[in-house]
Amino acid sequence: MPSRIPGPRESGRGGSITAAVVLALGVLVVFPMAFVVLQAIFPSIGAGSFAAPFSLIPQTFGDPKLVRWTLNTLALGVCVVLASTAVALPLGALRGLFRVPLAGLWDVAFLVPFTIPPYIAALGWITTLQRNGYLEQLAGFNLGGFLFSFWGVVFVMTLNVFPVVYFGVSRSMASIGGRYVDAAQVCGAAFWPMFRRIAVPLATPAMAGSLLLVFAMSIEEFGTPAVLAARSGFLVLVTGVEQRLSDYPVDLPGAASLSLVLVVLAGIAFIAQQRMVTGRDFRTLTGRPASGGPRPLGRWAIPCSALFALLALAATIVPVAAVLLTASTRTLSGGLAWGNFSTLHFAEIRANANGALDALVTSFLLGIVTALLTGLIGTLAAFVLVRSRSRAGRLLDFLTVLPNTMPGVVIAVGLILAWTQPWLPLTAYNTVWILLLAYCCLLLPYPVRYATAALRQLGPSLEEAARVSGAAPARALARIVVPLILPAVTAAMLLVFAVAARELVATVLLAPVGTRTVALFIWRQFDQGSIGLGMAMSAIAIAITVTVPAIAMFWLRRTGQGL
Amino acid sequence: MRTLRSLILAAATAAAAGFVFAGTAAADSVTVYTAGPAGLIDKLAAGFKQKTGTDVDVFQATTGKMMARLQAEAANPVADVVISASMDTATDFGKQGLLLDYQSPNAAKVPDFLKSANYVTQGISALAIAWNPKSGTPKPEDWSDLAKPAYKDLVTMPDPKSSGSAYELVAALASAPSLGWDLFKSLGENGMIVPGANDQAVTPVLQGAKAAVFGAVDYLAFGQIKKGESLEVVFPKSGTVIAPRPMMILKSSKHPDQAKAFIDYVLSDEGQAMVADAQLMPARTDIQASRPLIGDLKVLEVDPANDRDATLKKFSEEVAKN
Repeated sequence: MPSRIPGPRESGRGGSITAAVVLALGVLVVFPMAFVVLQAIFPSIGAGSFAAPFSLIPQTFGDPKLVRWTLNTLALGVCVVLASTAVALPLGALRGLFRVPLAGLWDVAFLVPFTIPPYIAALGWITTLQRNGYLEQLAGFNLGGFLFSFWGVVFVMTLNVFPVVYFGVSRSMASIGGRYVDAAQVCGAAFWPMFRRIAVPLATPAMAGSLLLVFAMSIEEFGTPAVLAARSGFLVLVTGVEQRLSDYPVDLPGAASLSLVLVVLAGIAFIAQQRMVTGRDFRTLTGRPASGGPRPLGRWAIPCSALFALLALAATIVPVAAVLLTASTRTLSGGLAWGNFSTLHFAEIRANANGALDALVTSFLLGIVTALLTGLIGTLAAFVLVRSRSRAGRLLDFLTVLPNTMPGVVIAVGLILAWTQPWLPLTAYNTVWILLLAYCCLLLPYPVRYATAALRQLGPSLEEAARVSGAAPARALARIVVPLILPAVTAAMLLVFAVAARELVATVLLAPVGTRTVALFIWRQFDQGSIGLGMAMSAIAIAITVTVPAIAMFWLRRTGQGL
Repeated sequence: MRTLRSLILAAATAAAAGFVFAGTAAADSVTVYTAGPAGLIDKLAAGFKQKTGTDVDVFQATTGKMMARLQAEAANPVADVVISASMDTATDFGKQGLLLDYQSPNAAKVPDFLKSANYVTQGISALAIAWNPKSGTPKPEDWSDLAKPAYKDLVTMPDPKSSGSAYELVAALASAPSLGWDLFKSLGENGMIVPGANDQAVTPVLQGAKAAVFGAVDYLAFGQIKKGESLEVVFPKSGTVIAPRPMMILKSSKHPDQAKAFIDYVLSDEGQAMVADAQLMPARTDIQASRPLIGDLKVLEVDPANDRDATLKKFSEEVAKN
């Protein structure tokens, strides 16, 4: 049986690492967040005034719709979490424990939903399923009634976010490896009891961590519920935030206060996650080569592959196909008629090649730098957090989830307020650095959750052995810990890259003058009513964005560090 | 050590590479914050650069996002010129003393109601019915037509809660004696949906899921017609609201001369022709355009004293039900 981690550990080890983590979290998370709180309290903080504190709070929280919006938000978050579990837990377990045919292909396919901006995915589903949409044009029926409902929102959002759980679970199960599974079988356990009593408990930290991310993402996501369910009267808290910032007059204090409600909801989810993982740390990552590796599926190979293919069809192929159809037809009203197909939109992007290339390069660099930085900071933060059992440690831990729970647009406001303070000796505002700060803040939660889960499986004994043999803390971390948790951190960094390369919500507000990113380029096309052009650029961006993770995965497989 | 060290090295190199493409505004450039249309500001910036040699740094967003950014950066403002899609922004900023007084010599032909001491209109849009002729419905002529059984469940409308001009349309029509709230009540009963911003209202009509947009932004619809979409713009008989797009120079501007020159350029023959080319109504009355101009429309006024919150609440009760 795997052994549990011993109790609280002495502090004071690796003090410089702790200091670096506290500093990084302070700059990336606490600094902008503090200004969101200040904005909620002091309406004129933007002009540097502390006048009339709390004056707008009663107005914001006196809104009778707030309770319903909060309940709707909770319902949506819980349903997306349940649906993601139902979809991603079995597939992640299969992927981690067994030799699934075409595993690498499925991994790449399940990364694609992450590279599609949520508003593009939602628009893809709308053009496919609404009355007279692509489905009706091809097959004669539509599913508009389903799509524009609460369950339609849950469906689309689950397909957008399940990869977080899939990659978390599959990496964790894989590191459990065949050893315990084999041991269970040697002891005569059948597959299901083994799965229920060995594999699932062992993967619980990873699952809890990724479900927390999913919950946080689904309560702060604006676009999908707004375009799909607002028409049927289903509004969530973020809708209220967005309404306050969508046209003149804007209400920054109101938006800031409402997002603090989201933080409270996320706090509850965080405590639930803590409960799930308390006492469930199992040292399964031993650094010893796994005996058998993943097991063959035997006669289950075909049905299992069919499951993977079905999910890839819904989550990847349908949205991408919708994007491609809109991009390669001259007009939306012309439909799927032969005469309407055209490479016009792609030709227009070629004609504007400078602008498009500029945007692609900027987004790419930002994505790569963000992935590397969050990977590094996330690993160090997880290292400090897992080893610390103090209250301060738990607070730091919550700080690393916080940014994921707030609407990106509010974080952007916090960043502007923070980085335009006149007393700052130098500022990142109105340079491309502000985007990097924003992306690192928004996406740090992924590497932290993934690395934390991996570290909980690792346990301290190997690192202790290194320390006893005379290695300094940083050396033990670099030589022992990092290589063992690298597959999990790499998976998180690929997700970060995919999101950072297409982030829109914070970018719209924060982009330095004259800077173009892919998402801004696409958004400007939609803003001008050029849907086909926007979709053509999306198709190009998705294709290019997927190649980086695909190459990374291929390379990791070759070097034996991945799966 | 090697893995961590190479990771740190890679992060540092990448961050340094970031510095290279970090752009800061050049010393004598002018920074313009604008609420679209994107194609227009790009052309204006290029034309201005060619004429004066001055670079134009553009930030483009919706009016709301632009205003949120302006409010948040108030301690350390970046913008020189602001072009918004809402007249209220100009009057409010003027009242708060944030604007620089400037009368462009090129503004002589701009009607008085489109300018003041510290702002001047760039161009004007109006709201209209955007109707898909392939929808199998009769062509609507007035707002109230869309409440008829022929359009049952076939009408969309941009959300007045997130669009200032849609709010003005609701306020104006609701206070018109012949229409009033009865119009919105019957639209709601006829299954009109309020799916979000302008493009979310238009997309279903283009694909034929719906037949008409109640209150579409006209220049965007004209642009889509130009691209070959099956769409027609109908200016209803009982009138509509217009949205002038005010240009203003912020008092905090560190480049007031360049900012003034930019306003002059937008109001020049060349600049106004670009505005007309974007399917907006030019602010100057002596500029030709290929679309109906302000004199061709029946313009409805909104009482400035109208209670915005009460109107939106009533709209929610009658139509959006949220």
